[in-house]
Amino acid sequence: MNNENLKFVIVGHVDHGKSTLIGRLLYDTGSLPEGKIEEIKQICESLGREIEFGYVMDHLEEERDQGITIDTAQTFFNTEKRNYVIIDAPGHVEFVKNMISGASQAEAAVLIVDVEEGVREQTKRHAYILGMLGLSQVIVVVNKMDLINYDQKRFESVKKDILKFLLDISIKPSYVIPISAKKGDFIANKISKMNWYDGPTLLEALDIFKTKESANYKPLRFVVQDIYNFDKRIIVGRVESGVIKKGDKIKILPSGEETRVKSIEEYLKNVTEAEAGKSIGITTEDKLFIDRGNVVIHNGDMPAVTDRIMANVFWMDRTPFKIGERLMFRCSTQEVSCEVEKINRVINSSTLELIAEDATEIKNREVANIVIRTDKPVVVENFNKIEELGRFVLGREDTCAGGIITEPEQ
Amino acid sequence: MIVVLAIDALEYTLVEEFNCKNLKQRFYGKTNIKEFSEPKTMVLWSSFMTGKNMEKEIVARGDKEMWNTELDMEDTFFRSFKNPKIIDLPGFSYIKEQHEQERRMLKYYFDAQSEEEKKNIRTEYNNLAFLHHRRIKQEFSTALQGDYDFVLGYFSVADVIGHLNFGNGSMMKLIYRDLDEIAGTINHTLIVLSDHGMERVGIFGDHSNYGFWSTDLKDLGNPKITDFADMIKEIPEVN
Amino acid sequence: MDHLDKLENQSIYIIREAYKQFKDIAILWSIGKDSTTLMWLVRKAFYGKVPFPALHIDTSYKFNEIYEFRDEWAKKWGIKLVVGKNDQSLSSGMGPDQQDKLSCCGQLKTDALKQTIDKYRYKALLLGIRRDEHGIRAKERVFSPRNKQFQWDYKDQPPELWDQFKNKQQGEQHIRVHPLLHWTELDIWMYIHRENIPIVSLYFARDGKRYRSIGCEPCCAPVDSNADTVDKMVEELKTTKVSERSGRAQDKERAYMMQKLRALGYM
Repeated sequence: MNNENLKFVIVGHVDHGKSTLIGRLLYDTGSLPEGKIEEIKQICESLGREIEFGYVMDHLEEERDQGITIDTAQTFFNTEKRNYVIIDAPGHVEFVKNMISGASQAEAAVLIVDVEEGVREQTKRHAYILGMLGLSQVIVVVNKMDLINYDQKRFESVKKDILKFLLDISIKPSYVIPISAKKGDFIANKISKMNWYDGPTLLEALDIFKTKESANYKPLRFVVQDIYNFDKRIIVGRVESGVIKKGDKIKILPSGEETRVKSIEEYLKNVTEAEAGKSIGITTEDKLFIDRGNVVIHNGDMPAVTDRIMANVFWMDRTPFKIGERLMFRCSTQEVSCEVEKINRVINSSTLELIAEDATEIKNREVANIVIRTDKPVVVENFNKIEELGRFVLGREDTCAGGIITEPEQ
Repeated sequence: MIVVLAIDALEYTLVEEFNCKNLKQRFYGKTNIKEFSEPKTMVLWSSFMTGKNMEKEIVARGDKEMWNTELDMEDTFFRSFKNPKIIDLPGFSYIKEQHEQERRMLKYYFDAQSEEEKKNIRTEYNNLAFLHHRRIKQEFSTALQGDYDFVLGYFSVADVIGHLNFGNGSMMKLIYRDLDEIAGTINHTLIVLSDHGMERVGIFGDHSNYGFWSTDLKDLGNPKITDFADMIKEIPEVN
Repeated sequence: MDHLDKLENQSIYIIREAYKQFKDIAILWSIGKDSTTLMWLVRKAFYGKVPFPALHIDTSYKFNEIYEFRDEWAKKWGIKLVVGKNDQSLSSGMGPDQQDKLSCCGQLKTDALKQTIDKYRYKALLLGIRRDEHGIRAKERVFSPRNKQFQWDYKDQPPELWDQFKNKQQGEQHIRVHPLLHWTELDIWMYIHRENIPIVSLYFARDGKRYRSIGCEPCCAPVDSNADTVDKMVEELKTTKVSERSGRAQDKERAYMMQKLRALGYM
């Protein structure tokens, strides 16, 4: 096993079997603390009941208070190939904020659907959010196959529905796998009852996914976080993409001024370059006016410097947004006041029905395509190119919406 | 037949959290037991069946002796029924040996020195409580088939198990589900009542300062445990 | 970048965000391994400086080693140390042998922290808590608001995505910032090992026993262990699943519970 980690989120409608699936994944990969299953089995027996796998998760949640290091919001297991982190996303509609917070950290997703219930409200909403967050590695698992006697026809019909719906939102799942989380079918082990299915098990399918590619090969975007003057003037920030090296010719945006990197600053380290993901500091040959929110790039591949942005936003605040209201636009370390010039379309995030065109408000859990006008120019990108500068939040006191930039300049 | 499901330490917040529909019935809420200085099981059930605050009298017996309280039928509202069946109720038909053993083991648990020993005692204690629960469940279910005009079943499992395991959510959830199923099997006028609830202290459980009630009859608001005697007497006998 | 590099860089980013957003900020330094690791990361973020005070809540019952370590490294690292004490409770004799241990903690730790925050008007605090430590902490955000009574409304928290943290603090609120939230106990030890971070000697085994978590001397019980180096500690952690808190919290709860059960006539 190598040391790589893949973070994935499990989403789906409430009661479609998320906790049972997590319990099963942990059990089948030998990641549960010793004796836990036995303990739960015993309580069930004491009460004369059949064991239910979902209890494992309840149990673990409580157990953590006794100090065992297992966490249901972020649970760990590993296969021979690599380590996995499961981000559990609540299925209940009230928790869609938490679902988004969780899914925004994931590199892949498993969408779970109950074969008896088919595609439901939260199935759709969650799938939509995955698409919006740009999660392209998606596996669909059709759960509770045991309840329908592993019937291929029923599976195919549910699969058809799901694929049709996903196609509408441009998600192409890598696999659609029939499973029973409760019985452990096609999680780690294949069973002969479904020999009509010749695809991989869930764990095999996960192993095929790629971990997030390093952004080293993308154009340089060093976003300034702060300027320190402790012993000398250091411009600190994070390399969001690309690699920055000592001696590089650089351009500061939005001003467009140019200079060279004099040094790369890491405490007690003598380094000459910094790759994507590093929180470092730089000094420059020329003393320029540089501020938080500025973006340092190499010459050549330019991001957009603009005050008009077209984007899809997911509104997640109980108080609706009404056109005319001013909001804070926050993208990486840039923070400016903005207004929404136009609400092109408002869509119901569950049914995907068009609610209104050229609208004047966006309500909780609605998705909208909007045009934002910022008070000052910002440095942004199309989300598909460099996501760190292609995603943003809108807020009042707190974050009210997450957004993905579809067109930086308009 | 009128049925009372008397559940020791049934906690309002957990009934809500686990959404136990049968325990909730149409109307449900918290009882007010603020008139008592401590939420003691024996004091509360004695007050329930007599319809008056029995704290002084019970406490005067002392912590040991109070568990042996056995009130006379004539002093309780049960006498208004022709053929009542009262199962395991503290202060009336309490199965003393069983509960005494539970309390003894509770003490052993806290007195035990090593973690290993504590673990073993906890398991044994839990088994004892579960075994008794199954026995009462059986007796209760038989009584429901019988020729009684009033049946009261006292279920101690939530309290006994709760004291050492209230922080164990899945264990409590399973117990609440089981109790909820028991309530679901009753096709008679039903009152669910607890003496007090429970609150969490790490893995343990302490009594909370309110009880739980539910009925299909009417909204009782925030009743006192002593209100139930008169209320039950006045329920018109259907069938 | 390897796993520890990623954790380190993310934590430095969070620390720098907190420093940028809040002027009246302090780091809560219990001298334990987590908050000392946090201190190490703060020094990295600010090129060897600690540009805000370090708050140490002193119950006066801490191990001697803790006081020695604190004073030695505060001096070496040029830290502005603020010691918070609940003098009123201490002078009225509060201690672990008085009443129950939960009240002792409440007064000497929680109340002392409340008083200190009040006195110095801190708007944000850096804390070294981790998600894997405790059940409820799985629900923590990186920037988490608390009201004056330290209450935390975990059911209705603002969303936190793409490193956009809560940056507005209102009224009497203070924001708790958790740069180590995404680390595990094992990560911490591997990082201490890699970076050679100084750690209180109590963590290392002596005569077959060591402390897995440290705090007040009367309320900490050592666990059986032969791990007398960080290396061995990492190995031990990889193979055991024993509770980190089992040394202390349960004892307190047990004592409290016994007392309550006695009051209810059970024992």
